[in-house]
Amino acid sequence: MRRNRVGWLLLSPTLIILFLVGIVPFIYVLYVGFFEWNLFSSDRAMNFVGVNNYRRLVFDERFLDALWVTIRFTFFAVISQLVIGFFLAQSLLKNFPGKVLFRIVHTLPLMIAPISIGAIWRLLTIPGFGPIPFLLQNWFNIDYNIGRNADQAFLTIILMDIWHWTPFVTLTLLAGLSALPAEPREAAMVDGANSWQIFRYVTLPLMRPIILTVLFIRIMDALRTVDEINMLSNGGGPGTATRTLGIHIFRVVFPQTDYGYGSAMSLLTLYFTIVICWLLFVSLTQLRGSRGNDGGER
Amino acid sequence: MKLRNAFPLLVFVLVALLSVSLAAAQDIPEGIDAAWWSNAAQPYAGTTLRGVSESTPPSNYVRDVLAPMFTAMTGINVELETTSWDQMYDKAIRDMEAGTGIYDFVYIEQDIIYGYLANNYLVNLTEALADMPELAAPGFSFDDFTTFIDYFKDAEGNVFGIPMEAFIKVYLYRTDLFNDPDIAAAFEAEYGYPLAPATTHEQYRQIAEFFTQYAAANGMQMWGTTVQAVSGHPASFYEFFESVVPTFGVYNWGINMENWKATVENGGAMNSDAAKAALEWWVGNLTFAPPEATSSTWDEVAASFAAGRAAQGLVYGENAAWIATDPTRSQVVGSVGVALPPLAEGVLEAAEAGEGYIGYYDGGAFGLPVSSRNMEAALLWLQFVGLPEIQADWAAAASRIVMDSTYDTPQVMAADEATNGYYTLMREQGYLFAGAPPFPFHPQLREVVAPFIYEAIAGTLSPAEALDRAAAAADAELARLGYGS
Repeated sequence: MRRNRVGWLLLSPTLIILFLVGIVPFIYVLYVGFFEWNLFSSDRAMNFVGVNNYRRLVFDERFLDALWVTIRFTFFAVISQLVIGFFLAQSLLKNFPGKVLFRIVHTLPLMIAPISIGAIWRLLTIPGFGPIPFLLQNWFNIDYNIGRNADQAFLTIILMDIWHWTPFVTLTLLAGLSALPAEPREAAMVDGANSWQIFRYVTLPLMRPIILTVLFIRIMDALRTVDEINMLSNGGGPGTATRTLGIHIFRVVFPQTDYGYGSAMSLLTLYFTIVICWLLFVSLTQLRGSRGNDGGER
Repeated sequence: MKLRNAFPLLVFVLVALLSVSLAAAQDIPEGIDAAWWSNAAQPYAGTTLRGVSESTPPSNYVRDVLAPMFTAMTGINVELETTSWDQMYDKAIRDMEAGTGIYDFVYIEQDIIYGYLANNYLVNLTEALADMPELAAPGFSFDDFTTFIDYFKDAEGNVFGIPMEAFIKVYLYRTDLFNDPDIAAAFEAEYGYPLAPATTHEQYRQIAEFFTQYAAANGMQMWGTTVQAVSGHPASFYEFFESVVPTFGVYNWGINMENWKATVENGGAMNSDAAKAALEWWVGNLTFAPPEATSSTWDEVAASFAAGRAAQGLVYGENAAWIATDPTRSQVVGSVGVALPPLAEGVLEAAEAGEGYIGYYDGGAFGLPVSSRNMEAALLWLQFVGLPEIQADWAAAASRIVMDSTYDTPQVMAADEATNGYYTLMREQGYLFAGAPPFPFHPQLREVVAPFIYEAIAGTLSPAEALDRAAAAADAELARLGYGS
């Protein structure tokens, strides 16, 4: 009993800080989400509207657009990072000339702040001055203008995110691959399995927990990306082609000062993130179960 | 040995002292009663005033020239944070709303003053100076300002902001190109009338087309016009609603201020035929604009023009002086002409009769938040910014004028010549331009309408469709905000 008290006492500073910076703001946002509250409305008071803000979200074309942009962005960026990251991690297991230099250069983007990543890509892609539009125009006669072409802008934010975050995926998967036991692969080789079969039926299943972890981290990150896209696309343009949920919420809460609605949006986004991760977790664990049975039959 | 070691330190101290003395000995303009300022500021010496403003030529002048001058005279330190336009608003509003008192003075753009007044963010300066006569500076008077100060008054005539910048968004053109006889002859041969600054939208478009083709044929990195068409930032919204649509005879963003409606069906004009023609024309100009136009805010438009990448354009007047005179930043020094923007039929007459306007009279003031913790010192600072004696150099450096008397100073007359008459245009025809309409809901409505303008720029919506949807969204938002429901 006394030991428990000491334990709680030692934990209490952390718990208090967590409560103040994590739980209290969450409760406040939850509370504000039930109010109509805009600093510049004719009645700037907080008016209780129940779940009206949430109901409004369902019919808000801008919000749904932003949600769709975020889903597409997350899907394409994270899948690409996973595939490229796995390939690079596999490659880095082998020795090749310049491997150390490659690892250093490859990891550099991870050390740069997202806002700087956005600025770098903006300088690279700014129409009229950036090297990328210049080279595409001169070498391939491609008119590349992310200020006007929605598809090009969307592709560019995905490429930027891949450039920024693939090193994280590579390093994590490399750590996982390096830690895999050698015996299963050696046994498979003795049994006559080729490289693809070893990868497909030995390496991949063993790596599944690590892939799942990387996937969760990257999905959660991608769903809340704001700064680098905001900087690159000048606030989510052209039009609303790159206006992700994060940017949309920022614009609703700050320039628009629509605090109640913005809070509802934030909470729904959090809920949405949790649901996606939960669905992913369930589907992957079920997949593992069924694959496990398949493996058994084989 | 010890003395030799101490020598670098001694030199450092001497240099530091010399720098401080030089800074303190900054030239105080003639006519300022330095002794009064020093005495009045004595109780507040050592105080640090913090302010926030947009990074513009006038604000940078305040930070670099006026703030050190004020400190040298009073001992009150002034730290002015100059940042991006949207950051400036975010920081100021959050500080004033929460009452944290971080800022002792804030930049108030003319278009946001109505919102700030509605929220009681600002100190009533008229009342404050009447209550504290010992702080009323000699030589400072609200009466010295142009009528631009009226934008910062409430219904009773109390002043809530000291104007620090005012300028018009003008039509700039390249005099070296327009006055070239070969170019003029080629233009006349193609279009059948002499090359001159456009007075109609059709002429403007034809000049843009001509120079784009001319530049392409001659291997020049130049286009026919600038367009402030950044496709995800409010700068494009502002160019369209404040500088373009009024030239087609649609005012106040197309909102009927009697019933707060935007759609034509409800008595507004945001989606009127004239507004649609304006958006069609403006978006169509992108064909003749530099590629960076769709990433250009007001800053990049000025930079494009200064880099010689456009033959003409609508440019904020605060940039006119440096574009025309600063060879370290501009490649078109001595080749800048100014004119009124091109207009639809009847718009000039309406503006002259006081029934409309032809473009944007931009500007701002410094205000004192009620949350300031250094109100007295800030009151002194704001009056210093409004002294007639400091206006001329400021006006010549940053093409802003807030007092009628400034026009006749030698500095401004010289700058007027260098800019081919920008200051004269502002003095004589500034009355044809107008500031933003008195909307307390300005940023809210802008955020709702702007995405439709972005989509028209990106081509995902046609101009007509964009304005129809924008007007409907504006009606709904205004009703939601409690206006005209």
